[in-house]
Amino acid sequence: MLKKLQILSGAARYDASCSSSGSKREGPASGIGNTSNSGICHSWADDGRCISLLKLLLSNDCQYDCAYCVNRSSNVVERASFTAREVVDLTLDFYRRNYIEGLFLSSAVMGSPDQTMERMVRVAETLRTEEQFGGYIHLKIIPGSSSELVRKAGLYADRISVNIELPSQASLERLAPQKHKEAILAPMALIGREIASSLVERKTSRHAPRFAPAGQSTQMIIGASPENDFQILRLSQGLYKKMQLKRVYYSAYMPVSDDNRLPVLAAPPLLREHRLYQADWLLRFYGFSAEEILSDDAPNLDESFDPKSAWALRHPEFFPVEINRADYGTLLRVPGIGVTSAKRIIAARRFSAITPEGMKKIGVVMKRAKYFITCSGRSFEKNDRPAALLRQQLLLGESPAPARSTQLVIPGIFS
Amino acid sequence: MNRYLYDGTADGLLSAIAWILEEEPDPEQVALAERQDTLFEDGFFLATDAIQAEDLFFRLRQQAPDAAHTLYSFMLAEKEGMESSLLHYIALAFIHGDKVNGYLTHPAVRDIVAVAKKAGRELHRMKGLLRFEKLRDGAYFAKMEPDHNIIHPLAYHFRSRLRAQHWFLYDLRRRTAARWNQGTLQFGTIEQFTAPALSDDEKKVQALWQTFFKTIAIPDRKNPRLQKSNMPMKYWKYLTEKQGE
Repeated sequence: MLKKLQILSGAARYDASCSSSGSKREGPASGIGNTSNSGICHSWADDGRCISLLKLLLSNDCQYDCAYCVNRSSNVVERASFTAREVVDLTLDFYRRNYIEGLFLSSAVMGSPDQTMERMVRVAETLRTEEQFGGYIHLKIIPGSSSELVRKAGLYADRISVNIELPSQASLERLAPQKHKEAILAPMALIGREIASSLVERKTSRHAPRFAPAGQSTQMIIGASPENDFQILRLSQGLYKKMQLKRVYYSAYMPVSDDNRLPVLAAPPLLREHRLYQADWLLRFYGFSAEEILSDDAPNLDESFDPKSAWALRHPEFFPVEINRADYGTLLRVPGIGVTSAKRIIAARRFSAITPEGMKKIGVVMKRAKYFITCSGRSFEKNDRPAALLRQQLLLGESPAPARSTQLVIPGIFS
Repeated sequence: MNRYLYDGTADGLLSAIAWILEEEPDPEQVALAERQDTLFEDGFFLATDAIQAEDLFFRLRQQAPDAAHTLYSFMLAEKEGMESSLLHYIALAFIHGDKVNGYLTHPAVRDIVAVAKKAGRELHRMKGLLRFEKLRDGAYFAKMEPDHNIIHPLAYHFRSRLRAQHWFLYDLRRRTAARWNQGTLQFGTIEQFTAPALSDDEKKVQALWQTFFKTIAIPDRKNPRLQKSNMPMKYWKYLTEKQGE
């Protein structure tokens, strides 16, 4: 059992999603477990990422041969599979000791997609019906499985996800020849429709079944294929707008294969992944569009600046912003002001005009914001600096000290 | 500036605040502190009245539920020396309602909200970091040493989560305990503590969890600093996955 767990959790670690939020369930009276809207992290692994779900593959014995994947059939690794009972017992044992918030189950393709999907759904079904488990369940959908199984998965799980894997059809054909774009997008669209109709039904009856109440997410690999950041961001934007996805996860390509279809990277593109997450946040919470962040002329994110500062530097006409008058949407566009501080500014100025002192108390990152704001008409820095000088100052700070290396943080570890 | 004293209990604090809000025209100009029983202490002592204390909390909950929640979290922190700030905060809450928490440029509001936030953060963290061990008689037992006195809200969380099992929480720092068994939740203190015997399969499950914890990290992305900032080392003592490191 120990060995199996080692193989099948090790194989699952490249799945980035670990969120346990967005779903609230009381749980059955006689069983165990509930979920809360905020989600709970239970531990943090040695790579600093949070652990909230027991992340497992049901099996790593794969029929497919995707170039970027550790579990591809041509790779020589130890293979193992869990039985449904083993996963159920492990989940319950861990949950009772408060190690985890629930289960994240994915799998390699054993036999056909339908056979695999059926075995995964059976695990969730056993947990929910036999064991009265009320905790969080995240199921991965195997591309190409039948819509009947996708529907069933959505009824048992809190979140379901189909991995888009690579940002374009061409890359998919080259690196994952057995996976097809349609097989990925069709279940996504189906899930989107089911979630929407379940929400409508629940408005008229609270006993109507819930379909994937925490929504759907997806994941793509960054740096294994030649797409630029602009293509990736436009794809994400489409997924958020057209498919109503809750999250798109980006995972920097880790060299797990010496396949000659793959680029040779000196190190995994962690900074690029970080910048993409920042841009993703701008799409979801800051009212930016992909076309504002990047363009065909500059299709990649600046590595030395966060995307919001980069946007601000390109748009001097937008600034300075008056803190005591600007609306929420405008405040959000100021570098150094995030969702929290923008809301705090709005709440605080109901009482009195905000002073420069007050800005710090509120938690605005003045190091960046001071170049872009005025406070009751007073500016902090000369706002009419040429862009090149401003760039340099933002990068280096006031003193000509060398720029500190950036600590990489995966956004969303708290969500 | 008028100065008042109370006996140092939570009820005493709230009933003193209720009295001051009733009698003093401008609470902003009033100071409140705990009685130290020194000979020349300056200030007027207000006796504790548990009914007045409760009444104040209920009125606050009606007029400003968010502020009442902040007050609750603040009390978990058992912070000394902030009585005057709390008095000013509650006075403002009765004037502005729930909007008071946005008045972060006011020093009293900022201090009270900051302390309450910190307590709330530790409560949320402990909901994740608490570890139960299965005992020989089938009950589950968890130890902790939190900075804030969070055992009550924590027990309410596990009451709805682990409904069907018999469990104990034990706060070693305060020697307080909570027990949930067959639908009843009890709180008490433990003076003498002896470690109970673990069930036979407990070590096996712990070994499985330790294995999972090790393998789920991506070796190429090792980042101990980030791990420590998310999960401060003061909590490692009782973490199953951090034993023997």
